[in-house]
Amino acid sequence: MIRVGSLVEGEATPAAPAGRRHRRAAPLRLVRRRETLLVALTLAVFFITTALQSSFGSTGDIAYLLESAMPLAVLAVGQTMVCLVRGIDVSVAGILGVAAISTGFLAQDHGTSYVVLLPMALAIGAGLGTVNGLFVTFARIPPIVTTLGTLAIYDGIELSVAGSRTVVSVPHSYTVLGLGTLVTGVPYLLIVGVVILIVAALFLWRTKLGRALYAVGNNSEAAFRAGIRVNAVLVTAYALTGLISGLAGLVYLVYFGSVDQTTGVEQSYNLLSIACVLIGGTTLTGGKGGVVGPFLAAIFITVASEAVLVAGVNPDWQPAGVGVLLLLAIMFDRRQSGRYSLRELLLARHPRVPLSPPSEVTQ
Amino acid sequence: MSAVHVTRSQGRRDRRRGDIDRRWLISLVVILVAELAFFNASISDFWSAGGGASGWLGSLTFTYTSIIALGVMFVIFTGDIDLSVGAMASFSGIVMAEFHLAGMNIWLAVVLALLICVAIGLLQGLIITFFKLESLLVTLAGQFILGASSVAYEGATPPYGFPHGFVTTLGTGTVVGIPNQVVIFAVLAIASVLIVHRTRFGRQLVLVGHNRDAAGYAGVRVSLTRVRAFMLSALFAGIAGIIIGATYNAVRDDLGTPLLLPAITAVVLGGVDIFGGRGRVLGVIIATFILGLLTIGLLDDGVGDNATSMATGVLLLGALTVKGAMDRRVGLPPFADRLRGRFASTTTPGVPNTP
Repeated sequence: MIRVGSLVEGEATPAAPAGRRHRRAAPLRLVRRRETLLVALTLAVFFITTALQSSFGSTGDIAYLLESAMPLAVLAVGQTMVCLVRGIDVSVAGILGVAAISTGFLAQDHGTSYVVLLPMALAIGAGLGTVNGLFVTFARIPPIVTTLGTLAIYDGIELSVAGSRTVVSVPHSYTVLGLGTLVTGVPYLLIVGVVILIVAALFLWRTKLGRALYAVGNNSEAAFRAGIRVNAVLVTAYALTGLISGLAGLVYLVYFGSVDQTTGVEQSYNLLSIACVLIGGTTLTGGKGGVVGPFLAAIFITVASEAVLVAGVNPDWQPAGVGVLLLLAIMFDRRQSGRYSLRELLLARHPRVPLSPPSEVTQ
Repeated sequence: MSAVHVTRSQGRRDRRRGDIDRRWLISLVVILVAELAFFNASISDFWSAGGGASGWLGSLTFTYTSIIALGVMFVIFTGDIDLSVGAMASFSGIVMAEFHLAGMNIWLAVVLALLICVAIGLLQGLIITFFKLESLLVTLAGQFILGASSVAYEGATPPYGFPHGFVTTLGTGTVVGIPNQVVIFAVLAIASVLIVHRTRFGRQLVLVGHNRDAAGYAGVRVSLTRVRAFMLSALFAGIAGIIIGATYNAVRDDLGTPLLLPAITAVVLGGVDIFGGRGRVLGVIIATFILGLLTIGLLDDGVGDNATSMATGVLLLGALTVKGAMDRRVGLPPFADRLRGRFASTTTPGVPNTP
């Protein structure tokens, strides 16, 4: 059964189990959203760090911080697309790498213009993503296995393209987009990231195909009987993830100005993007969530790790922080947790959710 | 194979499934033989490559990947997945080395490191079963945490240089011409075959993956079985990490992590169903040889890392496409339907809720 409510109300509606759903006042619902929590946490971390270390909060730093989150944030937006249809894509880092190194060489060696590079990155991403989608949909190999396989292949492609060379000196005309600001304190790249976010969010909220992603992820059988072409939607979701990952590759190139043969996998972007999706309140079981949460989660992770760095903690611990965040995010979320969430356990308002009948326990 | 004889047709389907598993095993042997024949023809000194005194057996330098694969296999049999094994391998080596640097006897350090790994596996298993979380997510977090702990614990200069006895026993030594590593792998492989196919725990392991509800109704302690699988996985990863340390006479945080994907590839290529409840240990053992020899052979052939990595991916996807087609020919529900069943919140008419 499709939860019509969650389809109409827009994304990331806190989907309480049917029967226990009572509508709260609008402000309260806003407060309870994951997005609000992430913004509040980000601001809290930012202001606390600024209070302790005054150099942290200057205008330039805010801009720098937000901008440095963009490659990961765009990638998280991409990862969300497949998570909405109950998929997962661990090849996004490979796609990012292939796109970044191919466009990087063209920019460095031939000075090819953006007019060519942008469609090229999009085409590489969409092509590789479609390969994932075809294997998942028609060869019916589980998504995680498919994308593990294609990750090996895409890594191989990245290594082949790179050879023994690296992209080190992208002309200034490219990196100016990464470093420059539109008006004081608003970097171009931040605007690019926000535009990508808005386009993706509008796509999910307002287009037929976007709603179809939710329907297929929620219950593909029902979606099929409602006349949605499930297979086509699945392939499209993987293609979109690829497309946005390719775009993230270009963002990476512009921001860092250097790419080598292990870019993408080296930064463990695969796992980080999945962590962002989950911390952002989108579930791996499909049909719930949206792109805004993952985008904000990427910013939060970046700001938090920078703050921890400023506080003098060994930066090596940063992945551990992400891991703990990920655990907390899924343990507190009733939608991710099958039995009872940590929140219910601690607050003891609903100490024991009655055990569901066996058919619903199946994972 | 566990067969839950619910109806006669179900029983027949399970027998056909057994046929497919047998045929898959034979296919794997054929692939392995073809691969060896190809390398035999294309590389003149393939049988002694890298082996030195110990001959061709010495070239089996992938045994630690195989050991990790055997460990993950237990978890995959129950229908879960463990993404933390690669980081676990690095972590165990570093814990062992740091304990040794602190003045502890090396063998005591090994035992302690393995115990710590098992404890972490226990913790992950408990979190997964108690909160009913997806194992994918919890072990993903575990991978982050273990990886960071390894990097932080090893400090600026990763430890190296272990006692000679330790290095030869677990790393470079041989017994009657057979490298010790191969002996250790063989022992663990035989133990795994016996555990999965000959013990009560093994049958419960497969049943839990085959149908968790049925296992519960049959009196199997489902959570306990799953937690035990995670402990075994952690133990095997820990052993692999220590063997890596002995082989290179050094430990580093990035030695274990890249082994996660090859290990899972080996398990799946070996015919173990990624949703659990089906497969043979022998298939996994053969698959680790196929993948390991492929890497060694292609590198010997002068093919670069890139093509080797691509060949592994193509092999995995090709093999699974063929296997899926074989399954469908005998009417087993295809992966997509079982995926749907796995996540379905309600029983959908026409789609079996559990495979």
